[in-house]
Amino acid sequence: MSNSTVDLYRYPEELKEEFITTEDINFRDGSKASAEEIWHFMTVEAPVRYPHAFTKSSYYHRQLSRDIHLPSSIKHNYLFLTMKDRIENSRRNGTPVIFVQGGQSVDPYYAAGAIALRPASVGLWASGRHEGNTMVGEEVRRMDEKEKAYRAISFEACQTAGYEHIQEGDLPVDMLAPFTCLRCSDVSYGVEAHRHGKKPVNLFLGDFPLDHQKDKPWAIDYFAHNLHRLTKEIGDMAGHVVTDEALRAEIRLHNAGRRLALDTADAWWSADAPPTNGSDRRAIFQMGGMEMHGDPTASLTVLKEANRYIRERVKRGVKGNGVQDNPGRIFVCGSCVFPNEFRTEEAGGVIVGNDNHWSDISTLVEEEGDPYYNLSKAILSYPYEQDIETRAAWTIQEIRKSRAHGVLFLYNWGCNTQSAIARMLVDIIKRETSLPTLIIEHEFGASQSEQLQNRVNAFVEMVRP
Amino acid sequence: MALTTVHKIRDRVEKRPLELAAAREKGAKVVGWLSYAIPEEVITALGLIPIRIGTGGDTRLVEIGSRYISTKNCVFVREAVGLFAENKDPYIVNSDLVAFDAACLQLFRTAEVVEHYFKVNTLVLGVPRNFYWPEAKEYFWHELEHFVGKLEELAGVKLDPKRLAASIELYNGIRESIKELYRYQAGNNPLITWSQTYDVIHAGYYLDRAEYAALLRELLAELKDKQGEPVISHTYGEARIFLSGSVIPPKDHKLIDIIEQVGGRIVGDDLWSGLVPHLNVEIKEPTVKGIAYAYLSRVPHAALPYLDLKTDERLKNLKGLIGAFHAQGVINHTLRYCDPFTFKAGETKEQLKQIGIPMLEIHTEYAGSDFEAIRTRVEAFVEMLRNLDYQEAV
Amino acid sequence: MSKEKIYAGVDVGSLGTKALLLRGDTIISHGLIRTGIDTEENGRNVLKVALDNAGLQWEDLDYIVATGYGRISAPYANRTVTEITCHGKGAHFLHPKTRTIIDMGGQDCKAIRLDEDGNVNDFAMNDKCAAGTGRFLEVMAATFKVGLEELGPMALRAKEILPVSSTCTVFAESETVSLLARGENPDSIIKGIHHAIANRVAGMFSRVGVESDVFFSGGVAKNVGMKAALEEVLNARIVDPEYDPQLVGALGAAVLAKTYATREANNGANNRS
Repeated sequence: MSNSTVDLYRYPEELKEEFITTEDINFRDGSKASAEEIWHFMTVEAPVRYPHAFTKSSYYHRQLSRDIHLPSSIKHNYLFLTMKDRIENSRRNGTPVIFVQGGQSVDPYYAAGAIALRPASVGLWASGRHEGNTMVGEEVRRMDEKEKAYRAISFEACQTAGYEHIQEGDLPVDMLAPFTCLRCSDVSYGVEAHRHGKKPVNLFLGDFPLDHQKDKPWAIDYFAHNLHRLTKEIGDMAGHVVTDEALRAEIRLHNAGRRLALDTADAWWSADAPPTNGSDRRAIFQMGGMEMHGDPTASLTVLKEANRYIRERVKRGVKGNGVQDNPGRIFVCGSCVFPNEFRTEEAGGVIVGNDNHWSDISTLVEEEGDPYYNLSKAILSYPYEQDIETRAAWTIQEIRKSRAHGVLFLYNWGCNTQSAIARMLVDIIKRETSLPTLIIEHEFGASQSEQLQNRVNAFVEMVRP
Repeated sequence: MALTTVHKIRDRVEKRPLELAAAREKGAKVVGWLSYAIPEEVITALGLIPIRIGTGGDTRLVEIGSRYISTKNCVFVREAVGLFAENKDPYIVNSDLVAFDAACLQLFRTAEVVEHYFKVNTLVLGVPRNFYWPEAKEYFWHELEHFVGKLEELAGVKLDPKRLAASIELYNGIRESIKELYRYQAGNNPLITWSQTYDVIHAGYYLDRAEYAALLRELLAELKDKQGEPVISHTYGEARIFLSGSVIPPKDHKLIDIIEQVGGRIVGDDLWSGLVPHLNVEIKEPTVKGIAYAYLSRVPHAALPYLDLKTDERLKNLKGLIGAFHAQGVINHTLRYCDPFTFKAGETKEQLKQIGIPMLEIHTEYAGSDFEAIRTRVEAFVEMLRNLDYQEAV
Repeated sequence: MSKEKIYAGVDVGSLGTKALLLRGDTIISHGLIRTGIDTEENGRNVLKVALDNAGLQWEDLDYIVATGYGRISAPYANRTVTEITCHGKGAHFLHPKTRTIIDMGGQDCKAIRLDEDGNVNDFAMNDKCAAGTGRFLEVMAATFKVGLEELGPMALRAKEILPVSSTCTVFAESETVSLLARGENPDSIIKGIHHAIANRVAGMFSRVGVESDVFFSGGVAKNVGMKAALEEVLNARIVDPEYDPQLVGALGAAVLAKTYATREANNGANNRS
């Protein structure tokens, strides 16, 4: 049967009664989306506007999770599919949108009155502007769009800093202001490429100093200066004066998300039977970064509910939808990529952890005192951004907590930074944990990759108890 | 007419590894370095011997290096790792410490990899991306102080201000000589070609710096005597080519040989393995702070992103040098996975097009399998440049 | 009346060796043989074919220009010139209004820009590990168990594109095998392959620019699906070839043979006077 024909998944009607009793999503601007509104959108409106999300094929790794009794899963997808509407509404109300890097905190951006979106979120926003696409149509659109960035920069670029959406498309991002050098060598060149783009856009690089940065007072000082400049520039754009207290308040809010994600992870990992599938797990853990939905308050609301459901499932020994009994538990390190969780689960595995976003999520920021200094100190101490041995020590700690049976290191073709450290990191992990490991190169943006999935599945077969 | 000093320099380079080993036996300490922001002035002032390491063109070493770093890293970096893995290169063997900096992120990671796998004693100097900010200069100053502190531990002495001042003067002299040498190689009927000049630059990676400074002065005197003052202009059919882009380190001759074989004449470069490290270094005070500020104010390396096209000093410098050397076209040499130069190639081409300078992109690695492919491209480019001359004459 | 001079162009490519003869400004014959191991012999043999077709002898030739990768072993030639320059002249001869050429052969792909006299003023060529050459199509034809000539019509029949990677031919082959195993429409996969190649070509043209009408030369130019995909991605019109696109290089070489012969004769006359 062809997977490219339109054959959509629908949430079963009998779920409605259960779902509409769950909690509302609260938004930063004080508005709410009730469970009933969410249900209506996900069953009536979204399948028409974004049919690709409702694809039945497990080859499409962005498909909806089938864990329909996990309301946070549906709400997370609701937030994803309403990204475009909400972001554009916020912009109309005067909130600027800033492109940031993955794996970084977004506290200062929100404190300055903006919305911060990492590359995948910007891509989601861009995707939301194209309605009616099937899975195949969406993949072709995405690949063709990325080609435009390749032409302007290089085919070897991995991270193109939204060039395809902003310069070659018409996405009205107000500013590009990632923290640079953070795990990704390409992002600063991607931002730089905008200088020769067709459209003027505000550019800023938050200069992340390298080499034992967390131990050098002058490095912390320097990055704190970067943060001052950042909040001032954004504040000026938003017509907003950023006070220290406002930044501290934002830090407290984001710390709440971080703590909750850590608590949720502890619960998830403690269970013998994974309480959710890999796709839901990844989304829930990542909500602690308070970035992925373009609204920290919304992320926190959904995360709170997710935390309760997971704790309950762990207590009752409930397994996530699609996960087999005694799956091979895989921890994924590397670039901002992951295998297709659905196909991995079909092969008997489950992804139990990722290191890249987890590094910033698991780093709490001090809440008293100079917020710029505190943020700088915390950001410069992200485990993922330390020397390889220090990063490995932290990764091993997380691998042990996750009770993984094996470790995959995935890096993008074109990702010089993660590819450079892959072997060393994996060698240390292997030495310290005796776990099987595998390094795989991934073609970023490819719609499907049999070569990649083949390797993942073989690894699952090898490690599965 | 052969230049005796060129032969002398070559001869001295051949003898250098044994000299270095002998010096170490007598207690001298050698600081090998890779990357782009390491100030040799400081190393020399501490009585340490600076050696710029790193070679190119050896696919065997690239393959070995790829096992420790990855096949997705720039070939220069991979070969560097291969050099450490094999541990036969006399300069690698004779380095007591190897310094890296964070300008190039891949070289930054190389430091950790070689330390981990080959127990190399490494030291890293952080380099800010926003190098044009006052805060960045301040940061780099403190980084350099920290770096100097580590070198002082190796040397067993503190940095003496007088010796630093003398060292700065020595290196300023070297830089002036190199700039002058480049004028000679670009001149009409030159006695020294660009590739001979390039070999002389590379000799400066290894030789004792005071001796090197003297040899440069000797070479310039010989040139002045035998050639006179250089006159730089374009001759019909000459195909004057400027080389830009990724480094072309010692032993990487592929592209240079091809250009010369097909009849092109290289008249200048802005390579970080060639002329550009010697440009615009204005050390205003003979202190670590003075050096830090000066190094951060040089023509920036492409690895350091810069957000405003109109005021980009790297591009301004490139255009200036093209004009100064009367180049007709640019060959932009980029190594596979050398992101800074590869990603900017299209933009550079567009910028040069605006001033009527054609540019050829050569994206390559050290394998010989693309030799013919590159030859065809370069030859076509030379044909194109010569045809421009013909069109103009007609 | 002086005999009109005969100019020869020889293009020794990786798969085919071509020769073309001009009498003045008129094409009088050509030759096309499969490239063998002995490069010099290939050149001589194909010239002989062209001469035989024209009823001429080797001694009738006034000037020979050799091009293609095999030009490095062409002692019989008066001069060697790269295929980039030759393609420029050949395309200009056939379509004087052309300012843009796509040349897609077995092993490489070229984007060439011309001025109004057919001189190359910019060009770009493919890099390694980016499947934008005819070889990619050959591999795919073998995977689909069809002849190369069938790929184009299959692509045109398809109603949609199934996206296929173009980073590596081998990985792309794995993907297509998997897509076929899943029951996807072969025509759609083939269209996806053509689309992927067109994107790679568009990458080269981002460096040099495109101006309609575009001249498409090389073996892949006969593929109607590729032509359609390129027109769509480049947003440009590709002219219909009036001559075998494989012979454009040899034609350009012959045109240059005439140019150089004339120049040298004029220089000789100037020297004597």
